[in-house]
Amino acid sequence: MKIEMKKYIQIIPVLLFVFVVLESCSKYLDVVPDNVATLENAFSRRIEAEKYLHTCYSYLPKHSDVDDDPAMVGGDELWRFVERTGFSEMARGFQNKVSPLGDRWSKYFNGIRDCNVFLENIHKVPDLDDFERNRWVAEVKFLKAYYNFYLVRMYGPIPIMDHTLPVDVEGNDLKIFRTPVDACFDYIVQLIDESMTDLPMLIIDPTREMGRITLPIAYSFKAEVLVYAASPLFNGNTDMVSLKNPDGTALFNTTFSQEKWRVAADACQEAIDICHQAGYKLYEFPGSFQYALSDVIKTQLSIRNVVTEKWNNEVIWANTQTNSTAIQRLTTPFLDPQNLDLTVTRGELSPPLKVAEMFYTSNGVPIDEDKNWNYNARYTLKTATASDELYIRKDYTTAYLHFNREPRFYANLGFDGGVWYGQGIYDDQKPADLFYIAAKFRQRNGYGKPGFGTVTGYFVKKLIHYENVIAKTGNEYSVVYYPSTIMRLADLYLLYAEALNEAEAPLDDILEYVDKVRKRADLDPVKYSWDNFSTNPSKYETKVGRREIIRRERLIELAFEGKRFWDLRRWKEAARELNLPVKGWDLLQQDADVYYRPTTIYSQTFGLKDYFWPIKETTMNRNLNLVQNIGW
Amino acid sequence: MMNNRKLYKGMSLKLLLHFLSPFNKEIMMRLRLTVTLLTICSTQILANVFGQRITLNERNASLISVLKKIEKQSGYTFFYNKREVDVEKININVREGEIAHTLDILFKDKPYGYDIQDKIIVLNKKEQQRQGESVIPVKVIQQTAIKGKVQDEKGQPISGVSIHINEGADGGAITDKEGFFTIVASPRDRLTFRFVGKEPVTVTVGNQKEILVTMLEKADVMEDVVVVAFGNQKKSDMVGSVTSVNPSDLKVPSSNLTTALAGRAAGVIAYQRSGEPGADNAEFFIRGVTTFGYKKDPLILIDGIEFTTTDLARLQVDDIKNFSILKDATATALYGSRAANGVILVTTKNGIEGKAKLAFRLENSVSTPTQNVELADPVTYMKLSNEATLTRDPLGQILYDDRKIENTVVGGNSIFYPSNDWREILFKDYTINQRANLSVSGGGGVARYYVSGSVNKDNGLMKVDKRNNFNSNIDLKSYSLRSNVNIDLTKTTEMIVRLSGNFDDYSGPIDGGKEMYGKVMRTNPVLFPAYYTTDENNPYNTHIMFGNYDDGSYLNPYADMVKGYKEYARSVMLAQLELKQNLDFFTEGLSFSGMMSTTRNSYFDVRRAYKPFWYSMSGYDERTGAYALMNINPTTGTEYLDYNEGPTNVNSNFYLETRLNYNRTFNKHGVSALLVSMAQTQLNANAGDLQKSLPYRNFGISGRSTYDYDKRYYVEFNFGFNGSERFYKTQRFGFFPSVGLAWTVSREKFFEGIKPVISNLRVRGTYGLIGNDAIGSADDRFFYLSNVNMNDADRRAFFGNDAGNMYMLNGISTSRYSNQGITWEVSTQKNLALELGLFDRLNITAEYFSQYRDRILMTRAAIPVEAGFSAPIKANLGAASANGIDVSMDYKYNFSSDLWLSAMGNFTYSKNKYEVYEEPKYNEAYRYRVGNSINQKYGYIAERLFIDDEEALNSPRQNFGEYGGGDIKYLDVNRDGEITEADMVPIGNPTVPEIVYGFGFSAGYKGFDISAFFQGLANESFWIDAEATAPFVQHNQLLKVYADSHWSEDHRDIYALWPRLSSTVNKNNTQPSTWFMRDGAFLRLKQVEVGYTLSDELARKIYMSKLRIYVNASNLLAFSRFGLWDVEMGGEGLGYPIQKVFNIGLNININ
Repeated sequence: MKIEMKKYIQIIPVLLFVFVVLESCSKYLDVVPDNVATLENAFSRRIEAEKYLHTCYSYLPKHSDVDDDPAMVGGDELWRFVERTGFSEMARGFQNKVSPLGDRWSKYFNGIRDCNVFLENIHKVPDLDDFERNRWVAEVKFLKAYYNFYLVRMYGPIPIMDHTLPVDVEGNDLKIFRTPVDACFDYIVQLIDESMTDLPMLIIDPTREMGRITLPIAYSFKAEVLVYAASPLFNGNTDMVSLKNPDGTALFNTTFSQEKWRVAADACQEAIDICHQAGYKLYEFPGSFQYALSDVIKTQLSIRNVVTEKWNNEVIWANTQTNSTAIQRLTTPFLDPQNLDLTVTRGELSPPLKVAEMFYTSNGVPIDEDKNWNYNARYTLKTATASDELYIRKDYTTAYLHFNREPRFYANLGFDGGVWYGQGIYDDQKPADLFYIAAKFRQRNGYGKPGFGTVTGYFVKKLIHYENVIAKTGNEYSVVYYPSTIMRLADLYLLYAEALNEAEAPLDDILEYVDKVRKRADLDPVKYSWDNFSTNPSKYETKVGRREIIRRERLIELAFEGKRFWDLRRWKEAARELNLPVKGWDLLQQDADVYYRPTTIYSQTFGLKDYFWPIKETTMNRNLNLVQNIGW
Repeated sequence: MMNNRKLYKGMSLKLLLHFLSPFNKEIMMRLRLTVTLLTICSTQILANVFGQRITLNERNASLISVLKKIEKQSGYTFFYNKREVDVEKININVREGEIAHTLDILFKDKPYGYDIQDKIIVLNKKEQQRQGESVIPVKVIQQTAIKGKVQDEKGQPISGVSIHINEGADGGAITDKEGFFTIVASPRDRLTFRFVGKEPVTVTVGNQKEILVTMLEKADVMEDVVVVAFGNQKKSDMVGSVTSVNPSDLKVPSSNLTTALAGRAAGVIAYQRSGEPGADNAEFFIRGVTTFGYKKDPLILIDGIEFTTTDLARLQVDDIKNFSILKDATATALYGSRAANGVILVTTKNGIEGKAKLAFRLENSVSTPTQNVELADPVTYMKLSNEATLTRDPLGQILYDDRKIENTVVGGNSIFYPSNDWREILFKDYTINQRANLSVSGGGGVARYYVSGSVNKDNGLMKVDKRNNFNSNIDLKSYSLRSNVNIDLTKTTEMIVRLSGNFDDYSGPIDGGKEMYGKVMRTNPVLFPAYYTTDENNPYNTHIMFGNYDDGSYLNPYADMVKGYKEYARSVMLAQLELKQNLDFFTEGLSFSGMMSTTRNSYFDVRRAYKPFWYSMSGYDERTGAYALMNINPTTGTEYLDYNEGPTNVNSNFYLETRLNYNRTFNKHGVSALLVSMAQTQLNANAGDLQKSLPYRNFGISGRSTYDYDKRYYVEFNFGFNGSERFYKTQRFGFFPSVGLAWTVSREKFFEGIKPVISNLRVRGTYGLIGNDAIGSADDRFFYLSNVNMNDADRRAFFGNDAGNMYMLNGISTSRYSNQGITWEVSTQKNLALELGLFDRLNITAEYFSQYRDRILMTRAAIPVEAGFSAPIKANLGAASANGIDVSMDYKYNFSSDLWLSAMGNFTYSKNKYEVYEEPKYNEAYRYRVGNSINQKYGYIAERLFIDDEEALNSPRQNFGEYGGGDIKYLDVNRDGEITEADMVPIGNPTVPEIVYGFGFSAGYKGFDISAFFQGLANESFWIDAEATAPFVQHNQLLKVYADSHWSEDHRDIYALWPRLSSTVNKNNTQPSTWFMRDGAFLRLKQVEVGYTLSDELARKIYMSKLRIYVNASNLLAFSRFGLWDVEMGGEGLGYPIQKVFNIGLNININ
């Protein structure tokens, strides 16, 4: 009996063990501690909420980045090697709907969702004072407007997502449709208006906050949005009449509205007033401490530095999320004859011949209109003399096209024989010491080093800060940083002039701001220039003539700043301009007489469908209420 | 909430105590009993005299003689130490005294005490007793010397047979060379004879003085008994689907066990994609893949503990006792949530009682790639490179002028006109590897041991630059050490301690072997030599002057290979304690066991390298041959090694398991039941984020009950009840039952007549559910929680006006949205099997299986992009099914005692398909995945190449980028005038083969044996990577086949292998399409082996019991329709090639 008991006792621990395991198993599997980060944590303290503010900003496109900004190499303003992919392929006509080049649909809808999350939760942060909270809310509303605008500009009408959707959504039950384009613009403008009440006039703490949204930014962006809304692509565009939602809602208005231009002009005026109030004015190079510079170079530097001198008094909005070092390296040619083995400078973004021909003559009129400039001889040769030596190297033989052009031509472009001020040599009293371009075959800037250099014969000068220095040995190039400009005063002036002209304002009002921009470029006012030099002197007297003048002024003034790509589209001019062949000089030639033969590099094509991006096929498949853009 | 780690620690301690408590009591009680009851007296006989009175009258007698008299009269037996009791003179006078009374008188004033237990009286010195030391008794039982002989069934004497008295209690002997033995034993003793490979024999001594023992051949354990979940079953009793692999079949000339799996076991789909030492694990799936989650491969259990594929790969075949593959729900149910993809179950060897047996294996092998990818010669490379540029862009800048090409043809100046065969520069033709394995096993009555160790050394094919003083070739040394010790704590308690360690020490090129092969494929052969020799301009250079070009950004694979080396060390250490308690005394057939185990894994790597100095040629003067070398990177190159730490991964696993087992036969009724509880936890040291750093846990209770009647009718029921920490509280536990039936037809009476022909006929079937918590991805833990990164650099923003000092904050991002509804993936499995034995020689097992995998986690397809979610939304929506057959057969016949033949073959076919898959709504029916294989690839149908640009213009627009004449023309399947994703159709066979088979034979004549094994697979497609093989792109090499067959303007071959050349990746041509699709089917001669075993007599003369020398080779031949590289590598043909191995080995056993 005693032994029997022992047996039972032996079994007890076994049973007890099983029992304990069973009892504790539930806890055993509960491994997650309570304080795992969730979205609530993001809005529990000011510092975390500030991170979310940065999150909302982080979606800003990288302006001037060739891989993120379609306006750099996606159109006809800059050309590069055929091997280059990305937006270059778009420029060559290989956009597609299977995996659209530069598709930003999901990126900006993610951004919009993050903005919505921020707006819906920011009231929960306990240690955030109302003043700061209101400012943040205003900034995020602005960003939301910007991201919506970015999508509209790319895709046309888009669905408006004004609040966050729950995780358990069923796509087709949601009825997410594209919103008609006018409503899209209204929504964007409404968001900007809402943001205006709480934005600061100026940044108080520039070392920590430059790049944050201010009131002048909001006003000038609103002006730009309204100009877009009034422009031919969005205002009475009959080409898009067939673009309709599945329920039949037309997505484009087909009747032109003059009123839209008046609204746009008013917005521009308001913006200009606010900017003036905040102290913005057209930038002018203040001069050098070291050298007494000639006016020629000073004017050039006024034009170059307005882009490259960070936060100068003309820059309303610049993008601190972009590093301009990349674009400066991509555009800088092998200037220094003592160091040609560089690989950090590539000089590969090449303006085509038509961009070179776009700039005015020194008289401030188009080259085909100037009475004193021989348009038909533009491809003949001419040798530079001492009077040209700040523009073209003395005794260098180059095309007639390069002579007697406006200052912006020389400030914007590098070309065979062209003098290149700066980059380490600053004394313009000794023009022979200044760098110059030699771009014929096997010359230092010429064709021949695979993967480097120009494909048209031209280089971009404007985007390179004049104080960047190429090292004498090694592979070093010191670059002066600047944030890429999104909006500057001259841009706003020209938008205003354009809107006034379309809204049929008085002539002098229209030309006032154009002339201001011309003056900085050392050009005479429009009336004077056309009256005295043009073969078509009365051009500015008609609305159409003025339109041409204002548009050209805009293309010249804002060249290489990521505007032409979008402007040609909103004017519906792309179908004309982007169907012209892309031309350059005959780069395989070593002698000037054969080098200066215009050669077609690429036969660019642009169709109706190319005005808007295709919506990616898989995106379409996930929301059957979406309708594809015309032609895709 | 309580700190989890504490909770865990506290709990495991508690569990441990509970675990140990029976053990402690057991030790105290059992040890005493065992020591005391050294010999068991027949209680029945002694019971008759129990209570007898004792009469003694002795003068000056020895104590021993007195004690003997008491024994005679009382029936008690004394235990004492002879030396201690023999000296004294005793005077005693007792009449009819009780035993206790008598002893009290006897030991009065004597330094002895006594202790009566049952019929046994133990004497001990009193002071010893006081100190509580154990007694050292000596039995006093009549003993005689017994002589005998042991022989086998043929009458041949067997030497080395161990003889144990009463199951090893004490004493023992071993037979000599002639099989004779002498042992001292008493008539009641039972002698047990044991010898490896023979059935043990037990004889009661009785009155015999001479004993002749005949030992019979042991029925083969490997084949007859199958290791199943938590136990063994006789093969003839199996209900579930289990394939048992003979470990010797897994012996291949490789340090990687997994490479042997293909074609060896029915039900296993396996293939190998790389031959790189340390990275040559085969991929294997049991009955194919039936899920689209991340965990597709089977659970690997070694001695009950979960291990990784690499751990299995490093396991020594010589250490394996059983290797089983559990395939259906009934077989795997007990493993519950971990076993949905099948289980590979391995047990390692135990020691067997007897004197030390030593087994030693030594192998030395030569390995060489089965096939190398052929490249075009440098001149062709240059010519076609120019063609590639000009054919796309007539204005394009060609890279090689005529002078360079001409001079390269002439081959004059190899420094200025380099022409490199990079593969020859980097790689050797063959390499030599060694493997050695030693094991010792044996044991006595109380404990048995198996100890083994092995060393493998595998070398890579890379050349080493003698100017470096380090080895940059792959040198993988793997060591393993294993010690399995079984200790009988009591007659009913067995303790097993297993300790094993497995260590890899690797040294090799920084980027690994595969990448070195890859780099050769991506390097320009004519731009620069691997290195320049010192010239007068650089007389002081102590560094190697590696060649490069331009800015030094070109790939020089030689420099990348020799510039440094990577070392990694991987180790796995296991400590396992298992305790088995037989509870027969409680009720017959009941037993309990507990197992506790911990494994520690660690991996780290270190890279040491210098930054190569690049040189390029300048100022070459053709007339004088003078040139100067220019250092491209004087500031960034280094002559000294730099150091770089790689990842360090450390994790620990703890596993606890208890089982209660009942197994008994009542007449014709066999009954068994098993209840198991297990808990597992894993902790990773370098998890990367908080959620991954939390312990990984699994908990389960499972059970099995079986019943059979007369070994004819079987029924089996299993269940698993499992919990997983990944799910929300309400979804955490799952219950997964299964049931099986079997009928052994051949044991029926009516079958008697047929038995000579059909020796075995058996049918069985199972049905059951298995859960899987390894869903989604391994990183996706805790589906019920959102995963928010509070510090995401991808979402950061900068502000400020000072470029060098911007104000930056990282942003916040969500990588998973919480979903409390996510739960187990459930697999419903069916299995039907037929076993057939013919003439006792041919055995066939054929099984049909089907599986329906439900609630597979998948990404929702209908969530609109516009919602802006930053992470995919997932749900348990998907379902997939698989079905197929696996068949195995083996044949064995002994023609005579000298000549035998055996043959085997197996075949596995497994076809899977999507059953439910959320997809967008398509206009084209063929786009839906449902009904297609999980491993089905979608792509475009390539018609041919465009004849010219005009044809391309007039064909449906292809939306992938630039294309024209000579580029691939795709079929507009939906006829909408455009080639878009809507034209993608399922193409080819699945990427995982549906059929894997193997067959082979082995035969022996006297000492010679020969075997051959073929293996093949079918129903697999793979794709040549058109982007990786695209010539000239980033200076990619040109494959010879592309050079020989491509579209060119002069030769517009619209069916050429490669489309029009291009110096960039042509996205039109690299779309997934039928153009680059290839048939992956092959049949290969996987292994041949010839061996010679020395005859026993000869072996004995050199003091060995067995000596075998063998030569084998693997991957000798392959038959397939693909010739570019070894077809088994599939789409990874540019990697480290699969090896052909020639091996010589020696196998020695010493008993």
